[in-house]
Amino acid sequence: MLHQGLILTSHREYAQAMRLGLLSLGVAQARVDVELDALRAMQLVPHQYNLILLDQMLDSMDGLQLLLLLKQQAPATKFIIVSDAQDETSRAHAYQNGADFFLERPHTTEGFRTALEAIKGLLGRHFDTKTMPDTLGAAMLSISDIVQTRCLSGDSVLLLVRSKKQSGDIFIYRGEVYHAQYPGKSGEAAFYDMMHWDGGHLQIRDLKLSHVPPRTIETSYRQLLEAAEKAATLDGGTRPPTGELLVLSGEVPLAASDSSVVLEAPPRGEEVTVSQSGRLLEPSAPTETAIPALNSHWKINLMGELVEGSQMSEPDRCAFISYFIYRKLADVAVTLEVDYFSNFTLFGPHLQQVLVADNMGVRHGVFDTAWTTEDLRNQYIQWCCEQSF
Amino acid sequence: MNKAFEQIALIEGIIAATFVSPEGKLLGWCSNSAISQEALKFVAETCRVILSANRAEQRFAETGVIAFGDRTLVFREGEVGMFMAYLDSPTNDAVLVWLWEQVNPLLDAEGVKLVVTPAESA
Repeated sequence: MLHQGLILTSHREYAQAMRLGLLSLGVAQARVDVELDALRAMQLVPHQYNLILLDQMLDSMDGLQLLLLLKQQAPATKFIIVSDAQDETSRAHAYQNGADFFLERPHTTEGFRTALEAIKGLLGRHFDTKTMPDTLGAAMLSISDIVQTRCLSGDSVLLLVRSKKQSGDIFIYRGEVYHAQYPGKSGEAAFYDMMHWDGGHLQIRDLKLSHVPPRTIETSYRQLLEAAEKAATLDGGTRPPTGELLVLSGEVPLAASDSSVVLEAPPRGEEVTVSQSGRLLEPSAPTETAIPALNSHWKINLMGELVEGSQMSEPDRCAFISYFIYRKLADVAVTLEVDYFSNFTLFGPHLQQVLVADNMGVRHGVFDTAWTTEDLRNQYIQWCCEQSF
Repeated sequence: MNKAFEQIALIEGIIAATFVSPEGKLLGWCSNSAISQEALKFVAETCRVILSANRAEQRFAETGVIAFGDRTLVFREGEVGMFMAYLDSPTNDAVLVWLWEQVNPLLDAEGVKLVVTPAESA
């Protein structure tokens, strides 16, 4: 089923006719955009579309080259190359560059009808795969087995753990558990809790770690697993309180477990205090700025790779959007003949985002609009600057 | 829209400003420096793309403030297009409220209504 489509063409009349045809294939709220300018098309975000029809030859660009670029950015999107020629070389080239279908440009009503039937068939197949459970690639496994296997292999991975009610992350670096977190807790306490979610049988996905994660767990993985097992036999007895986080009830939206607001763990061994307003205050050294309460935050390096982060529901997407904005603002800086941006705030009705850039990367923080103040945003910017040093 | 931008050019700190339609058409602009119409259009289009990318990530935003050293780029998207101003100073929330107080009536007179946040209406 078509939800959002894009037609990239230099032929206006064809675009209008095809747009109407595509809309007839979509759901009630389906949207089909038309772009006649290839350079502007390069500024679009292709993964927001589930179908893109692209001319083989555009006015200012080779459509097959553009296809290659767009397919890299949006591998899940279905691409159809529309051509005025039907030679086998073009067809082969299109498929080689990532096209899902090669279509001869329709000129008659019958031609459009046939083309739309073909597109409908393609989207049908696409829909089937999209409607498969999002647990694809994630099996229902025992979490302790997974942790043990990964640690024994000396792997560096981020395990994304999902139970029926909540989700969390376990960071394993070079065969040791370095950090664990879920909304409301981090450190060993979070690890022990996660080991017992849904009886230890959870949906788990792993991502390769290319950086050293923050270390909040010093205990060896063997001891952790043993302790978790013992705790289970004691009916989930008292967990070690290390690294426990505070959640601000009343102020914090906890509707979606994947994006609920938690506060960063204070440094180990230090006390946590809460201000009159209910916000967390860190009793850290007076020269250091405390990180304010955030929905989520992360950092990418200048290659767009995720370096670190907290409470990201989809780490890859988070890294992508930060890198996308960084690249776009680099273009703006060149156009305005100024240095690269130092910080960028996006104000929305529900969320505010602050991006802070330095010569090592970009930090991206997401705040809840309802309780964000200018002071908190500035505090985050200052904290980011201090991390750079 | 030319009249509005004649006035916007007089606002303190404004280096350049523009208003582009959702289709990317430049509907009005002013510049107190050598920044060209095309450059402004490109920058506005890039800002629009950033907002669009954010929407695709389910993080809706209508206003952006970018600090380039001591200069600031401010943009805000409405239903009929996007307003963008390039300022020769850093900003804070109070400056932004002040800026919108100056700009909104001028755009309003041209039939353009931008979002007014609770902080600005207070």
